[in-house]
Amino acid sequence: MRWFQFAMATVYICASSAPAGAAGLGVRISDTRGNAVADAVITVVAQAGGSVPPAPPPATRVIDQKNETFIPYIEVFRPGDKVVFHNSDDTRHHAYSFAPARQFEFVLVPGESSTPLQLDKLGVIAVGCNIHDQMITYLYVTDAPHVAHSGSDGIAQLSNLAKGEYEVHVWHPQLRPGATVDLQRLTISDTTELKDLTFTVSLLPDPRLPLDRERAGY
Amino acid sequence: MSFRLRLAVFLVASLAILQSVTAVLVYEVTRRQVVAEGKRQLAIAGTTFARQLDDVSAHVSDNVQVLTLDFALRSAIAQRDRDTVRSALRNHGRRIGAARMLLVGLDGTIDADTQDASPAQRKFPFADLVEGALEKPSAALVAWDDQVFWIVVVPVNAPALIGLIAASIPVDEAFLKREQEQSALPKTTELAVQNSNSAWMVVARADGGNGLADHLLGEGSKRSDKPALIEVAGREYVALATPLRTSRQSVPIVAVLGYSLDAALQPYRSVALTWAVLLAFGLVAGLLGSLLIARGVSKPIEALAATARRIASGDYRPAEPIAQAGEVGELAAALTNMAEAISEREEHIRFQSAHDDATGLMTRIAAETAIQQMIDADGDADGSLLMVALARLPEITKTLGHAISDRLMRDAAARIRGPAGSALVARASDSEFLVWRSQAGQGDAIALAFRLLDVLGEPYREADLAIDVAPAVGIALHPLHGKRASALLQRAEVALFAALGADEPVAVYDPGADPHRPERLSLMSELREAIDRRQLQMHYQPKLNLATGAIDGVEGLVRWQHPKLGLIGPDMFVPLAEETGNIRRLTRWVLATCIAQAREWDLRNRRFRFAINLSARDLDDPDLPHRVGELLAIHAVTPRQILLEITESAVMGKPDAAIRVLRQLADLGIDLAIDDFGVGQSSFAYLRRLPVRELKIDKSFLLRLAMGAEDRTIVRSIVELGHRLGYRVTAEGVTDQTSLDYLGEIGCDHAQGFFISRALPPDAFDVFLASSSWHRDLLT
Repeated sequence: MRWFQFAMATVYICASSAPAGAAGLGVRISDTRGNAVADAVITVVAQAGGSVPPAPPPATRVIDQKNETFIPYIEVFRPGDKVVFHNSDDTRHHAYSFAPARQFEFVLVPGESSTPLQLDKLGVIAVGCNIHDQMITYLYVTDAPHVAHSGSDGIAQLSNLAKGEYEVHVWHPQLRPGATVDLQRLTISDTTELKDLTFTVSLLPDPRLPLDRERAGY
Repeated sequence: MSFRLRLAVFLVASLAILQSVTAVLVYEVTRRQVVAEGKRQLAIAGTTFARQLDDVSAHVSDNVQVLTLDFALRSAIAQRDRDTVRSALRNHGRRIGAARMLLVGLDGTIDADTQDASPAQRKFPFADLVEGALEKPSAALVAWDDQVFWIVVVPVNAPALIGLIAASIPVDEAFLKREQEQSALPKTTELAVQNSNSAWMVVARADGGNGLADHLLGEGSKRSDKPALIEVAGREYVALATPLRTSRQSVPIVAVLGYSLDAALQPYRSVALTWAVLLAFGLVAGLLGSLLIARGVSKPIEALAATARRIASGDYRPAEPIAQAGEVGELAAALTNMAEAISEREEHIRFQSAHDDATGLMTRIAAETAIQQMIDADGDADGSLLMVALARLPEITKTLGHAISDRLMRDAAARIRGPAGSALVARASDSEFLVWRSQAGQGDAIALAFRLLDVLGEPYREADLAIDVAPAVGIALHPLHGKRASALLQRAEVALFAALGADEPVAVYDPGADPHRPERLSLMSELREAIDRRQLQMHYQPKLNLATGAIDGVEGLVRWQHPKLGLIGPDMFVPLAEETGNIRRLTRWVLATCIAQAREWDLRNRRFRFAINLSARDLDDPDLPHRVGELLAIHAVTPRQILLEITESAVMGKPDAAIRVLRQLADLGIDLAIDDFGVGQSSFAYLRRLPVRELKIDKSFLLRLAMGAEDRTIVRSIVELGHRLGYRVTAEGVTDQTSLDYLGEIGCDHAQGFFISRALPPDAFDVFLASSSWHRDLLT
């Protein structure tokens, strides 16, 4: 019930801040224990009657490597976008990926940036560092018209949804294998409408945490 | 059972029992301790075993994790290069001691298997391990193809989670042994799995195994999570079946841990053996020791027993000295002391029995034996036996007491020893000594007798007393008067009696004058028959009434017409009758005969007063008055016709019973006369107490009446005094006219004696009476 009250408050805020004439969606992600889940990627796919906004121009996004951590943990790409890895640490990093969508491997000396890599295939590319096992980042390549990822409060905001039918998908890098997150259907019938959806996901532990703990121990 | 054996058995038995009880106690305590220790160890071992597996797990998962970080392997997995993956897994599996390595996909299918080239999309059977491993390495025991494995599942990240590696380590006998070496895992450990039929199957056992699991898990056995004491194939174990944590998909696995009591008690075996040897040694030592001690005790005791038997048989030599302190030594000393004491006492008793207390001289019995021995030694040689009497001693004793008489005898003995010299001196009786002189004839004996009279003639003096003992000596000669000591003693005694009555108080035995000859004995026995066979008869001596000149009384005197010896006077056989107890019969016969005679004479108109003699012994018969009364009644004789005569000595000092008899007789109306008056110690004062009516002056005064003025005075005094006191007086033993005249002159009442008439049988008495009026003429 408390969560419900909290959700209502959120909806209220969303409604007051949403631009007039465009429908909005607030998605709340929590784990099985009710904790807010950050870094979940929400994609909304239009079905019959749903509006598809025009695709933005290709962009290049930077994944920084700082304090032996990839920043950010999740980055959303559209096909044709490019990614650049930058090493802000004083150590080398050996970034690699065995992902079918894009496989690569290179070593960055401190301060070095990689050459931009163009991401053409859809899919999730997990990138690790062969020197620092706890380092991991996910490059989420999607062509979905509406994409957002949850913040530390577990809430993702989507806007400018036209009238129509939608499917809302949720993905998270720590999703438990075999555990699927069912898509939810969304119907927008009024442009001023503000919708709320809630997803509960079952997650594995954050693979980055052990390092943090270890560091705290130093 | 001898003392020795008993002591030995007791010691050995008590030692054995004590040791056995101790052994049982120690064994029980030890066993309990061992069982408790076993249970404690098993409880620890149960948890330790699980912890050890965890340790193995951590170790293995660390190794596998390192493996998963291998870039090439990650690359191969990510790129699904299955052969490379298999070979890499096999290689790493060898390093960490895994029997089987698998790559499991995130969906639980087996992607690669070191033991199976084409797993063909099989599912990994232990889904819970896969599930757990998604987050962190997981591990558990599993039963897989009838074997037990420890499976560690580790996630593979590349960098995202792309699969899982499962390392399967066989938990087999080798594993258990290794664990046993590294830990406190019990020697006996078995692993059992439950198959589909719920039956348990042992899949691994260390130490060869021994069926503990079968026993503990078998059908009907109660499962317990606590250690229990069980017996398998004759051996005892503390056993525990610990269920092990397994994969949920695995059948249950149980570790059966056994703690062998036999093994635990093994160290105590040597102790037990040592103990047994010690016990055996102790038993032998105890047996020998107790036998030795018992021997040390029993030997001296046996010796003492022998000594005691010897003492009992009269051998008083001291006991063998026993070199032993303590009780036995004391006993030996006591026994020796006892023997000495008995010896001394026996000596004393023997001396006392053979010697007289007062004088220290031998007793008659001892002397008789000693004399006999000397006679036997000397053969027919001369020897003299002197019997020395102190005639006044009985009187002295009565007057002055035994103490003085004892001292007197002691003094007399000392006096006798002087003249006796080497002769044997002994005390023969209260008042007599005897002296035996060997090699001495009659002359020597008489000479010695006179010397003895000389020394004894001196009065014994004590304080202001001077006592004359009136010694006399009787002599018997060996071999003349006898060859036996006893005979000589008797003869000397007879001679002594003769001497006592003589002027010269020395007499040698005269066989002819011996009233105590052996034939006397037959006389005694014949006296009884004499009464029955009418060999006795009464003679009557007339009593002349001096005042009237008439014969008005008689004295009845009994005579014994012996078929061989002829007529015997009462002086001979009355004392015999008194000694043999026949006097009462005799008296009864005399009374009866006299009273019958009195009656007979009465009928012929001859009335006499019958004087009848009573013995002193008759006064002891309380029936006498009654009997006399009866006789008088039977014969119709008046009591006044009877005069009973008793001697002075018969009534002197008599007990009241005798006096009562006299009074009863007097009460019948019978007069009593004192016979032989004047020679005894009676006094008128005493006589006054008796119912006496007449005195008979002793004939010794009459014998010399004719010549002696002195006796005349005595007779006259008696007559006068008698008359004044109211007694009639009779004088007996009148032998001549002068005496008769004198008696008449002094007023004596009756006279009796040969001069008048001797005692006559009844017939002759009749003749005497008929022939005479002569007697009247006698009275002038």
